[in-house]
Amino acid sequence: MRMKRAAAFTLAGLMAVSMTACGSGNGGSAKGSTSDSTEETKNEAAATAGKKDASEKLVVWTLADDLKQFAERYCEKNPDVQIETVTIAPADYPTKIQTAMRGKQTTPDIIVGEPQMLEDMYEAGYFEDLDQEPYNAQDYADKIVDYVWDVGKDADGVQRAISYQITPCGVFYRRDIAEKVFGTDDPEEIGNMFQDYDTILSTGETLRDAGYKIFASDMEMTYFSGDSAWVEDGKLKIDQARMDYLDSCVKLYQNDMTAYVAQWSTTWYQAMGGSVPVIDKETNVWDETEMEEAAENGKTTEIFAYGLPAWGVVTMRDHVGDLSGKWGVCAGPAYGFSGGTYIGISALSEKKELAWDFLKFCTLTEETLDWWIEASQGDVVSYLPCLEKHKEDENTVYGGEKLYQFFLEQAEGIDYSKVTKYDKKINDAWAAAIDSIKTGEKSKEDAVDEFYDVVASTYPEIEIQR
Amino acid sequence: MGEKAVPGKKKRNIESTGYFFVAPFVIAFIIFSVYPVLRTFYLSFTDYKGFGDAALTGGVNYLRVLQDKFFWRSLWNTAKIWSVNIVLQLGLALALTIVFSDIKYKIRGLAVFRALYYLPNLIAATSVAFLFKTLLDWRYGTLNQILVGSGAVGSPVNWLGSTATAPYVISVISAWMWFGNSFIMLMAGVQGISKDYFEAAAIDGAGRMKTFTRITLPLLKPIMLYVGITSLIGGLQMFDLPFLISGGTAGNPSGSTQTVVMYLYKFGFETNQVGYASAIAYVLFIIIFLFSALQFKVMYGRKKGGN
Repeated sequence: MRMKRAAAFTLAGLMAVSMTACGSGNGGSAKGSTSDSTEETKNEAAATAGKKDASEKLVVWTLADDLKQFAERYCEKNPDVQIETVTIAPADYPTKIQTAMRGKQTTPDIIVGEPQMLEDMYEAGYFEDLDQEPYNAQDYADKIVDYVWDVGKDADGVQRAISYQITPCGVFYRRDIAEKVFGTDDPEEIGNMFQDYDTILSTGETLRDAGYKIFASDMEMTYFSGDSAWVEDGKLKIDQARMDYLDSCVKLYQNDMTAYVAQWSTTWYQAMGGSVPVIDKETNVWDETEMEEAAENGKTTEIFAYGLPAWGVVTMRDHVGDLSGKWGVCAGPAYGFSGGTYIGISALSEKKELAWDFLKFCTLTEETLDWWIEASQGDVVSYLPCLEKHKEDENTVYGGEKLYQFFLEQAEGIDYSKVTKYDKKINDAWAAAIDSIKTGEKSKEDAVDEFYDVVASTYPEIEIQR
Repeated sequence: MGEKAVPGKKKRNIESTGYFFVAPFVIAFIIFSVYPVLRTFYLSFTDYKGFGDAALTGGVNYLRVLQDKFFWRSLWNTAKIWSVNIVLQLGLALALTIVFSDIKYKIRGLAVFRALYYLPNLIAATSVAFLFKTLLDWRYGTLNQILVGSGAVGSPVNWLGSTATAPYVISVISAWMWFGNSFIMLMAGVQGISKDYFEAAAIDGAGRMKTFTRITLPLLKPIMLYVGITSLIGGLQMFDLPFLISGGTAGNPSGSTQTVVMYLYKFGFETNQVGYASAIAYVLFIIIFLFSALQFKVMYGRKKGGN
């Protein structure tokens, strides 16, 4: 009997240990929102801001935790309002919203979307028309960065959503390595080394020969791939820039210029703060002294650059550690953007005026956005007067670079008409094709053929000319 | 109870009381099973996008499923992953059953081992996927560090990045998760075999091998068949593990880990083609139905022949 009881306790203990052991190993998570499916998803969680006995209540369903902070701030200023903010993982968000809207639920009052979700959400009629009375959103058109304003419009040009942030992409690079290898850490000059794919390859070779890796993964340039839309007039289009991107990814990988790290993996984040090991046959990774020796012999490597959207400023800040101040940001080979939380009002909400007040508070109020720049320590807002005001702000993590100015310039180059609702799946298929070429599983011709097949089977309505 | 057979009203009352008792189940069943099944069937003939109105399109979706080579590839992937999995899962469970059912060894603590083997099944698939992704990472994973460090292999193996290994890695993980379950069933089967057979065999001087091949195995066959076929039905619906390990519905690398349900999910939830996803669901249903029918046939056929 005693044996049994002891065994039962041991087992219960074992189970608990195995559960916690599995649950605690989470890597860092990217700040802000992203369309990347491999990014860690957060659990759904509701947070309530404001007094319980408040006379009015607003329900917000969001993708990024940012809106919780906005809600708290709003309730401080408006004590008679209570806001419940529910954060939902990007993968679940469209389904949740769909269920709520089809069930004719009057909450949530505030709904959000990322660019690649928005087209379908507009079409489904989830978002309130913000051009009409009493909102008159167009009065604010010149206050917001152009491309963000355009993302918030539906196919008929009606304003449906507005974002508080801009998410243009840049190349984040190590200033100390640049100084050592290229003799300069000037963003302009380093930017020239990333101006096109051929130059990136030769930059990568120089770095490799100096004992560094240009990128951690070979997916860093994905935000800058392509010069035109994937689908134009219902036809699939592979332009030369796409092909160049494909070739450069394959070469980066095959010519040993990356650290073969998976994007968003623990090691990928680790490399932002220092060296990562390059494992070879002779190194016993369990032996600390041997690993230290390996480090001295150059068996570890340091990563020169990352390609990230503007919210990467915050992601990176959280992972640089001692390398704070040694990073810089320069332009990539093309203009690109990724993610961003777009806020709108549910068409079924019964508190539309209050919801509009909150929306305005988050996206169109200078005081809030000034506060947000401080609170987020570097998120880049979309409100032009604020950007103008902070143009000269220097970010110490990035060697005193004026990042607001930089990202504003990048945002001005973005052409939103290149974005289609097909992008996510087509990009995935293109990445899969690149993967199979670089690892030698398929020839370029076969891989591109398969890419066409995948697109054709996913979207039969797209015309494909091979 | 001695209820008299009173004709007319009273009898009808008894019947309606019965309806009342089964009503909770029937209502729940209609709402949560019958309605979705019928609704999906209806949607499979429409171009429904998940919102807005659905227009009837006839059999277009079914025609598309039959002509879609990626649907067939995902079915083939599923079969491939499942077959390696079932061999390992049943093989391991059977090996353990032999050890634990041996009347001469009389291994103690069966309950403890049974629970231990069952443990992997209690861990959420998300945790399992994360665990194995970390262990099997190409350059930085523990397994490759051990293999390369000990000189067992010259260069790290890209377990999850190569079409030659990725599907089978999923088979192995799945077998690891489920062998405890099969083991419990097989042990129950063994315990259901009369001790007389084993004793008689021992008296007749049958060796361990002979006892196993001539007594245990034949009498275990129905249970093994049951485990195998239920696993096949579950296996055709495989989703969570390959989805989480390959990081999405594309089933990387090169679509080699894309299962049928991942393919269905891609259309139902990622590209708003609910009508097409419903048609895939029904084709999958027909395939599973055929296997279930086969199961009944085989089981029923056995009973007839056996008894």
